[in-house]
Amino acid sequence: MPKLLNSKIVNDLKKIFSEELQKKVKILLFRVDDESICEYCDLTQNLLKELIDVDERIELEVYDFGKDEEMVQKYDVQRVPALIILDENGKDYGVRFYGIPSGHEFSTLIDDIVTFSKGPVPNLSPETIEQLKKIDHEVRIQVFVTPTCPYCPRAVLMAHHFALVNDNIIGEMIEANEFMELSTKFGVSAVPHIVVNEDYSFVGALPEANYLNEVLKGLKK
Amino acid sequence: MVFFDLEAKKTGPEKTEYDVIIIGAGPAGLGAAIYSGRAGLSTLVVEKNIEGGQILLTDVMENYPGYGIINSNELAQKFKEHADLFGTEFDYGEVVKLELDNENSKLVHLDNGRVYKSKVIIIATGASPRKLGVPGEDEFISKGVSYCAVCDGAFFANKNVVVIGGGDSAVDESLYLSRIVSKVTIIHRRDKLRAVKSLQEKAFKNPRIDFIWDTVVKEIKGNDKVEALVLQNVKTGKIEELPVDGVFIFIGLEPNSGIFKDFVETDENGFIITNEDMETSVKGIFAAGDVRVKSVRQVITAVSDGAIAATIAARKYFD
Ligand SMILES: Cc1cc2nc3c(=O)[nH]c(=O)nc-3n(C[C@H](O)[C@H](O)[C@H](O)COP(=O)(O)OP(=O)(O)OC[C@H]3O[C@@H](n4cnc5c(N)ncnc54)[C@H](O)[C@@H]3O)c2cc1C
Repeated sequence: MPKLLNSKIVNDLKKIFSEELQKKVKILLFRVDDESICEYCDLTQNLLKELIDVDERIELEVYDFGKDEEMVQKYDVQRVPALIILDENGKDYGVRFYGIPSGHEFSTLIDDIVTFSKGPVPNLSPETIEQLKKIDHEVRIQVFVTPTCPYCPRAVLMAHHFALVNDNIIGEMIEANEFMELSTKFGVSAVPHIVVNEDYSFVGALPEANYLNEVLKGLKK
Repeated sequence: MVFFDLEAKKTGPEKTEYDVIIIGAGPAGLGAAIYSGRAGLSTLVVEKNIEGGQILLTDVMENYPGYGIINSNELAQKFKEHADLFGTEFDYGEVVKLELDNENSKLVHLDNGRVYKSKVIIIATGASPRKLGVPGEDEFISKGVSYCAVCDGAFFANKNVVVIGGGDSAVDESLYLSRIVSKVTIIHRRDKLRAVKSLQEKAFKNPRIDFIWDTVVKEIKGNDKVEALVLQNVKTGKIEELPVDGVFIFIGLEPNSGIFKDFVETDENGFIITNEDMETSVKGIFAAGDVRVKSVRQVITAVSDGAIAATIAARKYFD
C-alpha cells in the first residue's frame, strides 16, 4: 500500500508536533471490517496508523463497531468510521469525527490533537464560555462537511471547542459524502451545514457570537 | 480522490503588538506578508478560515506565473510557506472590530476575544460571492442553492444543475461541475459570455453544458428544496419555468468590507477606495486585493497589491 501522507506532510507534522505537543493524546477509532458497509474504514485506520508513527505521544485504540458493544455504548458511537479524541487521562469531551478526516479536515484533526495535548483549553472568548457553561441538557452539534470545503474546518473546530467547555455538548464532524443518507435526511446540499439536536439547521462558518446564537436557538426549539 | 491538506494552526502568538497586522490570508494578504516580513517588520496575519482565500474555491489555477497548471490547494500552501520563511506570525479568528486608538495605534478585535495592536493595518479581506437577490434564494441555501462548486458539487452527482453568470468563474465552475453532474445549464443575461476565450471554447465543446441566453432568474421555487427556476427572457419578456435540482450562483463579488466602512472610504458597492500605493483614506490603513476598487480581480493582481501595500507601509511608517 502506498503511503497516504507524503514525506512533506510527515516532515511538517514532525515539526508541528515537536514544537506543540505537550501531553499524550488518545484517539479511539471505531470501524467494521466489511468494506461494503464502510468504504472508508480501512483508509481511516491506515491514516491514523501513519499519524501515530509520526509521534509516539499520539496513541490509537481500534474497536469493532459490531463486536465491541460496551465501548460503542460507552461512547454512544453512531456510525463508522468514527474517531473520538481523548486527553491523556482518557477523558471524553464529546469531540467526534464521523468519516475520514481528509482534505481540509485533516488540518482539523491535527488542530484537535494539538489542542488536546495541551489540556485541552477552548479557544473561545470568556463570554461564549460563560454562556456555554450554563447549558444543562444534551446538545449535539453535527457539522456536515466535504473535504474540499475551505469554510468547513472553522465550523467543525467551533463545534469541537464548544464541546470542550461543557460535557453536555457533543461536537461532531460528519463527512457528508460518506453519509449521504444522513445528509439527505437533513437536506444538506451546501456545506458547512450545521444541525443542532437533529432539529435546527444553519449554514456557514459564522463568527463565534453568531454561531453561539444559532446553537442556542436550536436548543430552545 | 482522497487528499490531505495540512494547514495546521499553531497556538496563537504570545505577542499582542506588531508593526503590521494584515487582515485576511488570501493572495493579497500573503503577498503583503512576504514583503512586510522581508522589510524586517514584525507581521501578524489574521485569518478566519484557512490560508488561500478564494484560491480554494476552484480546483486548479492556470494563470499564475511560474507554475503552469497548479492545484489550487498547492498554490495556497506555497504562498503560506513563503510567508512563513520571513517570520510572519498567524492567528486564526474573524476580525469583528477595528478601533483607532490614535494615529500610531490601531486595535484589531477577533471574534474569540483576542485583541492585537499595530501601527499599520493592511485590509486584505477579499470578497464573497454576490447574491442574486431574488425570492427563494436565502430560503433554499443548502436546499439546492450554492455558491461553491468545489464544496457542494458532490451533492448533485447525476443531477441537473443551473449555473448563473457568464464570467470566468461561472464558466470555469461549470466545466468543473460537468465532471460530476449529468447536465449543466448556464443561464446568462446577455447573448455572449464574458469569460476568457479559452474557457468559452471548452464550454461550447462540452456535451454536458447547455446555454440559455438573454435570460434572468426571477425566482427560485420549490417545496423542501429547489425544484424550479422562474426565468425571464430580457429581449422578449417571456416568462417560463425550468425544472432543476440545483443552482450555482457566480454573478460577481461582494467586498468583505462591512466592518471597515465606518473608517475608510468606499465606493457605492462597498469596495474600498485606495490610491496607487494602496493607501485608504485613513493614515496607516492600506487595502489590497479584491476588497478594493479595481478592474482586474485575479490572484496575480491581488498578490501585487499586497506587495505594494507592504512596501509603501515600510517606507512611510518605519524608516
Ligand atoms: C470560483 C473562482 C475561480 C477563480 N479562478 C481564478 C483563476 O483561475 N485565476 C486567478 O488568478 N484568479 C481566480 N479567481 C479570483 C481570485 O481567487 C481572487 O481574485 C483572489 O483570491 C483575491 O485575493 P484576495 O487576497 O484579495 O482575497 P480572498 O482570496 O478573498 O482572500 C481574503 C481572505 O480574507 C479572509 N477574511 C475575510 N474577512 C475576514 C475577517 N473579518 N477576519 C479574518 N479574515 C477574513 C477570508 O477568509 C479569505 O481567506 C477565482 C475566484 C473564484 C471565486
